[in-house]
Amino acid sequence: MIVSFPHMGSAHVIFRTLFAGLGLKVAVPPPVTRQTLELGTAYAPEAACLPFKMNLGNFIQAIDQGADTIITCGGDGPCRLGYYAEVQKKILSDRGYNADFVVIEPSIDSVWRSLRRLATGSSWLTIYRAFRLAGEKMTALDIIERRSSFYRPRARNTDSVDRLGREAKAAVDVAANFAEVGAAVKSFDTKLSALEMDWTVKPLKVGLVGEIYVMLEPFANQELVARLGRLGVEAQQPLLLGDYVRTNILHHRAAIRQNAAVLTLAAPFISRYVGGHGVKSIGYTMKLGQAGYDGIVHLFPFTCMPEMIAKNILPEVGVAASIPVLSLAFDEHSGVAGMMTRLEAFADLLAFRRRKAGG
Amino acid sequence: MAVRVGIPRSLLYYYYGDIWREFFRRLGADVVVSGETSQSTIEQGGLVDEVCLPLKVAAGHACELKGKVDYIFLPRIVSLAAGQYTCPQIIGLPDVVRSCYRKLPPLIDVTVNQRRNSFDLYRSVIAIGRVLKKNAAASTFAWLQAARLPANAAPLEQVSPAAQLRIALIGHPYLIYDRQISMDVIRRLTAWGVEVVTANSVDPLTADYTTRRLAKKIFWQFCNHLTGAALALMYSLQPLDGLIFLTSFACGPDSLVSETLRWHARHHDIPFLLLTVDEHTAEAGFVTRLEAFTDMLGRRDGG
Repeated sequence: MIVSFPHMGSAHVIFRTLFAGLGLKVAVPPPVTRQTLELGTAYAPEAACLPFKMNLGNFIQAIDQGADTIITCGGDGPCRLGYYAEVQKKILSDRGYNADFVVIEPSIDSVWRSLRRLATGSSWLTIYRAFRLAGEKMTALDIIERRSSFYRPRARNTDSVDRLGREAKAAVDVAANFAEVGAAVKSFDTKLSALEMDWTVKPLKVGLVGEIYVMLEPFANQELVARLGRLGVEAQQPLLLGDYVRTNILHHRAAIRQNAAVLTLAAPFISRYVGGHGVKSIGYTMKLGQAGYDGIVHLFPFTCMPEMIAKNILPEVGVAASIPVLSLAFDEHSGVAGMMTRLEAFADLLAFRRRKAGG
Repeated sequence: MAVRVGIPRSLLYYYYGDIWREFFRRLGADVVVSGETSQSTIEQGGLVDEVCLPLKVAAGHACELKGKVDYIFLPRIVSLAAGQYTCPQIIGLPDVVRSCYRKLPPLIDVTVNQRRNSFDLYRSVIAIGRVLKKNAAASTFAWLQAARLPANAAPLEQVSPAAQLRIALIGHPYLIYDRQISMDVIRRLTAWGVEVVTANSVDPLTADYTTRRLAKKIFWQFCNHLTGAALALMYSLQPLDGLIFLTSFACGPDSLVSETLRWHARHHDIPFLLLTVDEHTAEAGFVTRLEAFTDMLGRRDGG
């Protein structure tokens, strides 16, 4: 059995560690490229959303590389993600791509059965260790992401921050134990602080909210975070993968409390049932507005249902929190030039707003 | 003077309109239902960005009630069946309408969520009654009386006796029975001598039972019914000459359901046509495709 899974940002590092730790052979799909998206778009229903198409492209490329089992997630609605796997299975088998699907539904029962099916023969200790190491890597990757975002607009040479980030992620990827993960982060920090910084600039601070896949997958959002950094804007994501996992899977008390606070902020504007992350987009816009951010960029796949609802309400939220909001939809036709024009205009607007407020 | 309650003629009105009207009448309110969808309805609803056409139409209908009523009935219908949802856009409708249109009469935007507990409906009914200053017993009684009416307020299908072809037209009732946004597709097909069967002709239990053929139950209630009904029609003994799936652009659930239906239609050797409408759909292009499809079916039958 050779297992594979869809890409989402640097999540493959975590999945690889986890499944290898369970004693499985892992084939990581090739990095997402234009070709991945074209494969997915060719076979997916035209009106499906961008993550569907990119996942499908990942699966095709993974099966071509010898994977015979696809691990992916299910869901119980109302977002479309929950029904992806059923449709993808049919599309793949019709085109002669044969693979078993292990669909992990959001229930203890399903997780348990998938685990027994995948990790036959692994001891509980092995399973526990695999999860712990994967979790440690997840935290490390989030730290690297956040620090890169912080240093990028302040560094004299932006590219070197990107390079250090890539190197550190690669080091985390190959780390075999806790100590090596820690060492990778430490060496990233040391190299970062050795870079030449300009501490006189006070970069504009922009928060990213929106749909998780488009926020976390740089190919899907045209490397938005890095591009904003090069414009001299610090782009921070209040929700990285670790935050989702701590809130929705591990139920960490602090994360739950923070989530509840965000939902309370969103309550005057929207009911909590719209699915996906629509409510959080609104709650975090309020929260970051109060925290003194200069602007919000709201990202979502074109036709994403929960985020379309959020998008129509965000202008009102932006006024209430007195923070400008830029909504960007992404699909397979998105181009860099159009996005950059809008980002530059938005950054100009924010800079003007700050000068005006500063007198 | 009695309180005037306005109901937009859109979305779930096409399922539960009769029941809602009767409920408010029994609560002593004057019920005003917005008119048939027109071009100006669509234009007014266009203020809501990017969402599917029926949602824009619903917003347009809500606007048309402005000045005519004291309250607009726009419930936040999250779920009407255990473990199922309506869809994120329907759930978000009252929030979006309130945010995009400032000068509307107050909305009755009571949440209805029977996903975990079917008795939650009575909490919603009592909450609606409270808006109209009725006590819990009166509202519950009015609801129980009104709910005896059959759901499916949709018009009966006209079957012309000399029908040459039998086509299943699958699509949400708020799409196919809205003559403006569906380009009057049912009347057109009937005029061409086609017997049109819709998902309404399959009773909900049969449809739900038929969805067992799917590996995973669809968690959008109305799409589940459409899919089950379409499958029941395909698997039934009465032959089906073709299947038309009418959907609106940006409808999320339909984008995955259409692929499922296409797959089953192909395995039954039933020609499948996917028609997508939005506010920019031109009548000529739409009709041409419809004509080409029925012509093709006619030749296929003759050959």
